[in-house]
Amino acid sequence: MNDLIRSAIAAEAEERVDSRTVLAELHKRKARKPFGLIIGVATLTVAAAAAAVIIPTAAKKTDASPAELQPPKAENVLLIGTDDANHADALVFARFEPDGSASVISLPRDIFAESSADKINSLYLGGPRMLTNEIQHLTGAPVDHFAAVKMSEFGKIATAVGGVEVCLNKAMKEPYSGVDLPAGRQTLAGDQALAFLRQRHGLLNGDLDRTKRHQAFLAGLAAKITKDNAPALARVIGGSIEVDEGWDVLAFASRFQGPVKIKTATLPVGEMITRASVFGFAPDPAQAKQFVEKQFGGGEATQSGCVN
Amino acid sequence: MGFDQFVAERLDRLLGYATAITCDKHLAQDIVQNVLMRAQNKWERIGAMDAPYLYVKRMVTNDYLSWRHRKAAREIAVERSELAKHVPSMADPADAHAEREAMRARIAVLPRKQRAALVMRFYEDCSDAEIAQVLGCAESTVRSQLSRALQTLRAHELARSATLGVHS
Repeated sequence: MNDLIRSAIAAEAEERVDSRTVLAELHKRKARKPFGLIIGVATLTVAAAAAAVIIPTAAKKTDASPAELQPPKAENVLLIGTDDANHADALVFARFEPDGSASVISLPRDIFAESSADKINSLYLGGPRMLTNEIQHLTGAPVDHFAAVKMSEFGKIATAVGGVEVCLNKAMKEPYSGVDLPAGRQTLAGDQALAFLRQRHGLLNGDLDRTKRHQAFLAGLAAKITKDNAPALARVIGGSIEVDEGWDVLAFASRFQGPVKIKTATLPVGEMITRASVFGFAPDPAQAKQFVEKQFGGGEATQSGCVN
Repeated sequence: MGFDQFVAERLDRLLGYATAITCDKHLAQDIVQNVLMRAQNKWERIGAMDAPYLYVKRMVTNDYLSWRHRKAAREIAVERSELAKHVPSMADPADAHAEREAMRARIAVLPRKQRAALVMRFYEDCSDAEIAQVLGCAESTVRSQLSRALQTLRAHELARSATLGVHS
């Protein structure tokens, strides 16, 4: 009987797919992987701003009347971009002022935590509280609330606002991301918007240009959110946003009366170190606190200049 | 060994193994792809091991045995057991092909862990110790898994011969 078993199993194994298909898929995924971060950052900010505009619209059906709302106060919100496996793939710390303007700081996810041996992005797996505590410790600013958003929704979000205006210094064509765009001011939606955010290769200043791009895109996107496209946006985002219990989102949202004025920055990091043979950035709470204080304290809104 | 070299040398064999334990080439492809993506991220560690293939095979096996694929495995088992019901009565015992297909169907409905042990023994020619390492259990457990699988297959084989005997 053993020979029969052997030949039966061999026949089963013989059914396997062509290894070249798998190789091609592996290669494709490898090229796609790093894009998540940027997309997440953009999605998050937009989702939070959009949710804010939308919720009052949706809430009219409920018994809460606007007259009962407290006047809005400034609130710090940690926005968490999650991938399909519910990992925190992008982190954005945002302060929303009573007048509806927002100040947004991208937190590089490769910063090591001080409270554990992990990087900050893996703390989310231990629960949102673990993550928010670490961010409070790192930046010295209180985290009033958090919102988690699935990043895969991003394509639909871009389309829902009818495209986002950006400006390129020169025409760009690059096969990895599929970018194929002319120079100058233009409106991006759907796949082109994604490619614009995804592109990593062929950029003059590498990561720096990439960050500038997503910040320019954010500003453009925030400017497109209106009361008219908000309901459509709400439908897109509604199912995939999760916030902490006890957040009075109505009071939060009442500050937004039109397009969101937004300024963006990236948290400076400490030196590159290794922990347990993993590369990452050393946390630098002193520098981080100073930066966050300055950024949340005021300053100019992001200019909508051209990017590389 | 570098990751690319590992993939070039072992991918086809890994796909064969995964297909044999899952009895579903698409599920096998998904699992192998996901595992290799994960393995690549920590290749510095895996590549330095004595037996990287054994470790990656363990990742593939664990992935299949995890709760995530329980539903898929059940559906495949149901489909195959339907198939198995029909094969014996139609098959000519002298037909080696039919006999092999009947055995294939019976292996496909074994419990997942038993099948994994069986495939490692009869397809990968692994020792008890190696199987124990991949399944993360004691060698005595491996032996009992294998003997239970063989017992089931033998019982079916006897039942089948008897049925065919009556009808022929």
